[in-house]
Amino acid sequence: MSATLTGPRDEAAGRRRLKQGLLRYSTLIVLALLFIGFSIGVDRFLTTTNLLNILQQISMLTIVAIGLTFGFAAREMDLSVGFMAGLAGLIAPLLLVAGWPMPVALLAGLGAGLAVGLTNALLVTLVGVPSLIATLAMGSILFGVNFLLSGGRAIYGGLPDSYLVLGQGRILGIPVVAFIMLGAVALAWFVMERTIFGRYVYAVGGNLKAAELSGIRGRRYRQAALVISSLFAAIAGILLSARLGSGQPNAGQDYLLDGLATVFIGMTMFRPGTATIAGTFFGALFIGVINNGLNLVGLDTYIQSIVKGVIIIVAVAVVSRTTKLKLI
Amino acid sequence: MAIVLSNIVMDYPGTRALDRVSVDFRDDEVHGLIGENGAGKTTLVSILGGSRAFTDGRMTLDGEELRLAGAGDALARGIAHVSQEGSLVPGLTGAENILLGAEPKRLGAVVDRRGLKRQARELLARWFPDVSIDLDAPVETLPYADQKIVEIVRALRGRVRILILDEPTATLPAREKERLWAIVRRLPKQGVGVVLISHFLSEILALSDRITVLRDGRLVETFPADGADEARLVSLMLQRGQAASAREAPREAIDAAAPPVVEVSDWQTTEAGAEHFAVRPGEIVGLIGLTGSGHFAFARSLYDAPDRVGGRLRFLGEPVAEVSAAAMRRRGVAFVPDHRMIHSLVGDWSVRENLAMVHPDAGALSGLGVLSPARETREARRVMERLAVKASSPEQVVAELSGGNKQKISIGKWLYGAEGRYRLMIFVEPTEGVDIGAKREIHQLLRDLARDGCAVVVASSDLIEIADLATRVVSFAGGHAIGELHWPNFSEQSFIAAMAGVRA
Repeated sequence: MSATLTGPRDEAAGRRRLKQGLLRYSTLIVLALLFIGFSIGVDRFLTTTNLLNILQQISMLTIVAIGLTFGFAAREMDLSVGFMAGLAGLIAPLLLVAGWPMPVALLAGLGAGLAVGLTNALLVTLVGVPSLIATLAMGSILFGVNFLLSGGRAIYGGLPDSYLVLGQGRILGIPVVAFIMLGAVALAWFVMERTIFGRYVYAVGGNLKAAELSGIRGRRYRQAALVISSLFAAIAGILLSARLGSGQPNAGQDYLLDGLATVFIGMTMFRPGTATIAGTFFGALFIGVINNGLNLVGLDTYIQSIVKGVIIIVAVAVVSRTTKLKLI
Repeated sequence: MAIVLSNIVMDYPGTRALDRVSVDFRDDEVHGLIGENGAGKTTLVSILGGSRAFTDGRMTLDGEELRLAGAGDALARGIAHVSQEGSLVPGLTGAENILLGAEPKRLGAVVDRRGLKRQARELLARWFPDVSIDLDAPVETLPYADQKIVEIVRALRGRVRILILDEPTATLPAREKERLWAIVRRLPKQGVGVVLISHFLSEILALSDRITVLRDGRLVETFPADGADEARLVSLMLQRGQAASAREAPREAIDAAAPPVVEVSDWQTTEAGAEHFAVRPGEIVGLIGLTGSGHFAFARSLYDAPDRVGGRLRFLGEPVAEVSAAAMRRRGVAFVPDHRMIHSLVGDWSVRENLAMVHPDAGALSGLGVLSPARETREARRVMERLAVKASSPEQVVAELSGGNKQKISIGKWLYGAEGRYRLMIFVEPTEGVDIGAKREIHQLLRDLARDGCAVVVASSDLIEIADLATRVVSFAGGHAIGELHWPNFSEQSFIAAMAGVRA
């Protein structure tokens, strides 16, 4: 429709586009290669049972990481998600064991997420504590609260089946958590990519000054992102306790590091440098496939931890060398 | 020592910043360098100071080919550059700033504090024996002139023969300027030539031995300062013919009885204010002033004034309590800021996403806030065509566009889904870093907007632009509106007089 650019600028832009195109899909290509490699090299990898296992294993992680993705998109980091998941995963079982009905228990777990998310949001946007610090401190507080609430013991016995089915049940052979996770991914994708709300969250994270001068109330979207982050952590925590069949005071702790790794890997894809829901989903799949494959090969969990660390470094290095990485 | 630049060409993507400029600088003169914004002064001294490589041409030092690998290399060859922004480290003392990076050490590691003070004092005394500055005080507590002198002394640490001073007095209160002038005058006698960039023509005339005028990246003339006057400088700096014809271009008649779109009284923010200011439909009001005089801050405060100290604002006759971007946008005020990549655009977003930033609802299905990519693309294409944006598609990343096209996107944000919606549109430096063609198109757009009944405010450092567009001009100095000029009583002299605080 309009004149194109000519000369060296055009060539440079073309090269840049090619490079970005390659970068955009390189992680997906690596994921595909891993998948093929494990399928050929590891006996029990490419079976329906195992693939459903992977899906189940990454479900809670994906849900936490989606919450983190909202935060990253608004350029706020939520380091309290792990302990938040733990808190929700304690509150719901505690109430159930005490005889409260299921809806109350679930709402209380989510309510805790809402309360923590709002507190984080107020600390960050009104008091002015950087999110990295506010949520780190919040995590420490929640860690203590979790032990106070549980007395340091697991909460179990008397959890109704209707609760346990959330984490352990299957419909048509597919884990219920996987349905919930896929629903959450679809919903979050829609909100971020297809609604004005999502566009504004990205605008605030992309250039806060420009967003505010465009008449967007930046504070509101940063608050929303932090609240959503906590809510998703609460959902993951509830599902985790249902899967474990008990509330554990230190459950969910791994979600912080794994969730961050997931988002970082996701940031290498689609729109390099920006956290996207699709990127996060494939990032979780990436981690799930690696963990599962290494498990089947018989490698210990501490080897997996090392592999994960290396992957995070590689992912972040790739992104930060090719784009301006937007962390905080 | 003499540095000769011959036929220097400097290309930036999309624009030619310098076009075959030839000029020589000597160590026994103050060489004034003047020109409007965008004339190429800063680019030229960046090349001289080694911080930019030029595209074509030749630079020689005493007849020998000179190739500079960076600012450090230039310094080693005796060329120092004191930039406009300032490079002092607040919190450190004057002495520490003078010897920054060259502190005397004991045992090779510990800073020798006493030695540092002594050396700094010696340096100051060697260059400016009759200047006394408290070098032990934190540098930010010193008067501005003294801060500049500290910077200059630091630049003179090495064996400097050419010192580039870029707008050294821009941030200085009038009473401190004399202090710096004395310093500048003395340097050539001590074997240091000065290349002086300044917007203050009286300063250029008072200090320079020779003056070079640049315009649109080209050399206009180099001539001795003796016998030159301000009128001559201004006429060389501005494209006389064009400016004159612009002034004569007819303006739409304004209905002076029409109620103002926006009106402020006793308006005061921390940066700027005006006793009374109003804009009527169809008017294009130009705001002018020297750097830091408050015209940009004032323009912005009509849209977003978190730092309001006092005053009242009425929009379409209604008193407005909350003057914030979100509230004013809703009322019908558009704001196109300067520094578009910082204040207006998301660099790694597509053209479409940037255009949709203010009114995403125009690309949405019904009122549910659900975006439709097809609708967004359609509306983005419409705006791109309306503004003749040159981009490969609405999906092209905005950072890849030329300055003119970026600026069109920055303006287009307020037309996307909002054609005719805004009653007041405020522009700050609407053609900053924009090529001539796009500049003309943007000017026409502003005229069209005004003709359609929009009230337009343009704050610009480009006086030709203001003369070309405005129906009325308000000048600012020291943070306040101080004068008003009505078309066709525009002239370079009247503008400059108004900006200098002399009521025209």
